[in-house]
Amino acid sequence: MGNFLEILIFLSLLALGYFAGRYFERKHYKSIRLRESQMLYIPLVTFGAKPPWPNAKEAKLFVGCVVISTDYFKTISAGLRNLVGGRVMAYETLLDRGRREALLRLKEQAIEWGASQILNVRLETSSIWGAEGKQSVGNVEVIAYGTGIKE
Amino acid sequence: MKYTPKPIPEGINVTPQHPLLDFGYLIATIVLISALIFFSLGWLAEWLAIKISPTTETQIGQMLLSTTMPALSSNVLQTDPRLDYLQNNLLPALAGKTQPPLTVHLFDDDIINAAILPGGHILVWTGLLKAVQSENELAFVLAHEVAHFKHRDPLRMLGRSLVMLSLLTVLGIGNNQSLAGLPSLVSQTGELIGLQYSRQQEQAADEEALSNVIQHYGHGGQALDFFKRLAEKEPQRGGELNISRYFSTHPPTLERLAQLAQLAKVRGWTMTGAITPLPRW
Repeated sequence: MGNFLEILIFLSLLALGYFAGRYFERKHYKSIRLRESQMLYIPLVTFGAKPPWPNAKEAKLFVGCVVISTDYFKTISAGLRNLVGGRVMAYETLLDRGRREALLRLKEQAIEWGASQILNVRLETSSIWGAEGKQSVGNVEVIAYGTGIKE
Repeated sequence: MKYTPKPIPEGINVTPQHPLLDFGYLIATIVLISALIFFSLGWLAEWLAIKISPTTETQIGQMLLSTTMPALSSNVLQTDPRLDYLQNNLLPALAGKTQPPLTVHLFDDDIINAAILPGGHILVWTGLLKAVQSENELAFVLAHEVAHFKHRDPLRMLGRSLVMLSLLTVLGIGNNQSLAGLPSLVSQTGELIGLQYSRQQEQAADEEALSNVIQHYGHGGQALDFFKRLAEKEPQRGGELNISRYFSTHPPTLERLAQLAQLAKVRGWTMTGAITPLPRW
């Protein structure tokens, strides 16, 4: 009976993680695609650290940062993946969303300031864990930073 | 250099694989590998378990008994004429001298069942004593458990359960609270002892039990009557809680009866004879 209840709780958490996770992920991707197309006009480049930028009148550092959590389904799926090895496909969308969202937040701030270009853009990722132990749900933080310039 | 905005291509960093498909593939792989490991290790554990010496078996039996008894939550009868009769009359007649010696533990409960633990501990519930109508019937049930003991089936099962528990613990789905605690491992194994023996083990035990009963009484008459009555009640199993308990640890009765009848025919055993009544208690 106790075991049965445990299995039931596990399965419902799995279903919750899957359906809720998928719903929010779709919603997020929709918003990401929309905002990406809206802000596509502003160049965002990875160079610009060393070469001089004579036309730039003003420059400012911008940081876009986002924390995204996995869901129960993804955690279990990745946990199973840990046993056999291979691509952790469950977490691919998580990181993809994180990177794109961080860049979007960076762009949004830069556009508001009036930047014409964003130079020397870098991405950093770190993981945030709820608690020690296997069962805790992991979060991923993605930071995008770059220099916005006004020409 | 002129900047021309281009649409960002999709799906470069995300594998176009449905998450459920990925999950299903993972589950299937892990189940398959675990099953392979479980069966090969289980086979090895059985092979080792039957090599255990009688002394060690006694110790294991003691350990299991001390954890199983409280878990059964039935009243243990320490002094009872029925216990005395089972231990000192019926059991020696059926089993003779064994190593380790057989011990009967009588539980005061309406459950119709009997079981055996490693170390020769036979558990009998008073419900069984009320359900049987002659000594011949009781003798067969008891001889069946004795045959399990002689085939070392409880030890094999113990070996298998230990492998299963270890695997579950390794996979992290077992008891999370006390991974390192061996006592909890052993107690859980005790609970798992209640699992089913294989069909082959049951059949072998049935055959030896019938042969023993025939040796003792000179015929196999009435020995199977208890099972015949159970078989009649089998269709309405749902309503009969106490009887379903017996089925939960033993295979379907009709099949067993047919197999035994076939065996008796082949061996030319006499299947009718005088009834031996149960003593009055």
